[in-house]
Amino acid sequence: MVNKDAIPAAGPNIKKWKFSELLADQDVKQKWEKVRRYFFLRESTYDMTNRCNIRCDGCYYYEGEKQFSPDNRHPESWRKLMQEEKKRGINYIVLAGAEPSLVPELLEVCYSEIPIGSIASNGSIRIPDSVRYRIHISVWGNEETTMRVRKARNLLQKQINNYEGDPRAVFVYTFTKENIDEVYEVMPTLVQHNCRITFNVFSSPEGYHGPLRHDEASLLKSRRVMLDLLRQYPDHIIFSWYSAVAHTSSTGLHSLFGCSYPRMNKSTDIGLGRSFRQYRSDLSWDRSIACCVPDTDCEDCRHYAAGSAVVTARLHRHVTDPDTFQSWLDYVDTYLAVWVMDYEKEKNLCNKLVAPPEKQNSLSEAFITPPRHNTLESGKFA
Amino acid sequence: MSAEDRTMIVRIAEIVIDELKLQDITPEAFDPGLDFVDELGIDSMDLATVVLVLQDEYSITIDEDDYPKLRNIRLIADYITQKINTPA
Repeated sequence: MVNKDAIPAAGPNIKKWKFSELLADQDVKQKWEKVRRYFFLRESTYDMTNRCNIRCDGCYYYEGEKQFSPDNRHPESWRKLMQEEKKRGINYIVLAGAEPSLVPELLEVCYSEIPIGSIASNGSIRIPDSVRYRIHISVWGNEETTMRVRKARNLLQKQINNYEGDPRAVFVYTFTKENIDEVYEVMPTLVQHNCRITFNVFSSPEGYHGPLRHDEASLLKSRRVMLDLLRQYPDHIIFSWYSAVAHTSSTGLHSLFGCSYPRMNKSTDIGLGRSFRQYRSDLSWDRSIACCVPDTDCEDCRHYAAGSAVVTARLHRHVTDPDTFQSWLDYVDTYLAVWVMDYEKEKNLCNKLVAPPEKQNSLSEAFITPPRHNTLESGKFA
Repeated sequence: MSAEDRTMIVRIAEIVIDELKLQDITPEAFDPGLDFVDELGIDSMDLATVVLVLQDEYSITIDEDDYPKLRNIRLIADYITQKINTPA
């Protein structure tokens, strides 16, 4: 059987493309100009409370030490923190663990100081309209699986009741090894309620070897399903072909691109290694463990939050040829639509599978790209 | 500084100003020792953009690992000069 999602084998790319040549196409140039306006974003993340109203298997928050941090519930402490963050250049905040909707008064304070950001929530409690951040609502499978993994009854219906038609909301379907086919049950319901959806790939917390952890076969199957759904629901799914490739490769994001977050990046010269902090609910932070989803097993990390920074930061590697650059643009366009309020994604420029480029250095000055013979079935390209 | 070096520094300043839309500075007045990160607030994506245009302009390849070295216009000019003068 011919697999239409296979990455075609490519011959050596002997042409050395100039950046200006890659921008010669007007659609490409337009998308480049659109996304680069957001290069000013400087992010940090914040655990808002150590409490959650549900308890999910494989939850990142309840791994490691951060779960034992006491809560700081004083709005003025948070206000002061946000003011200090602004001073050091942070202009985009991600409010996460354990469940931010339990502390709406703190969300209000954060929003009043830094008005661009996003919240990761289980969606069971509506966050006040006045907090105009993107809200990511986590979906982990059908009703049966949600009951089993998250111990929450009718969660999807509650999420839809709370966020149907809400321009802040993006539903994030996390593909685990176990729930891949279930997305076909969930998607029609979300689409029927005009919800927008993006995809995440379960990335094991450190030490986790339970049933949700992906293997090569489940990653490839996830990719196939993502692309199938993208074809079926292009108006409701915020995703790109390259997003699917980057997040379902047999190799994790760090090995593919080199993670930019301090936990895996010792450099403090520039970028996330210099400015990113991950605050606990007591407002403390520790550079040595700072990343977007702390306590993830870095070798297994394919998290959508990580990719938004890690893949984007590797612009340099993606200027090798038109397909690769356009795939990167689609990826960044996707990430901005998922993470930034009022940013609308455009149609993808590159609707084919492109392998992530390898790091270029002076030893490969000739920019000869090695042949890419990888297929969806083999999964060896990454 | 030779006239050639000065021309290169002004040209790099033009590119930085153009790409980063630094409307308040002219290329001639741009202090070539101004630190991009600490004094101009430039971050990694801005720098990556500048680097891509510089690669086109001078037909060189700039390694990802060398980005942190490119902290100001003078350092960029030195780097480019070295690249141009080093046979591939």
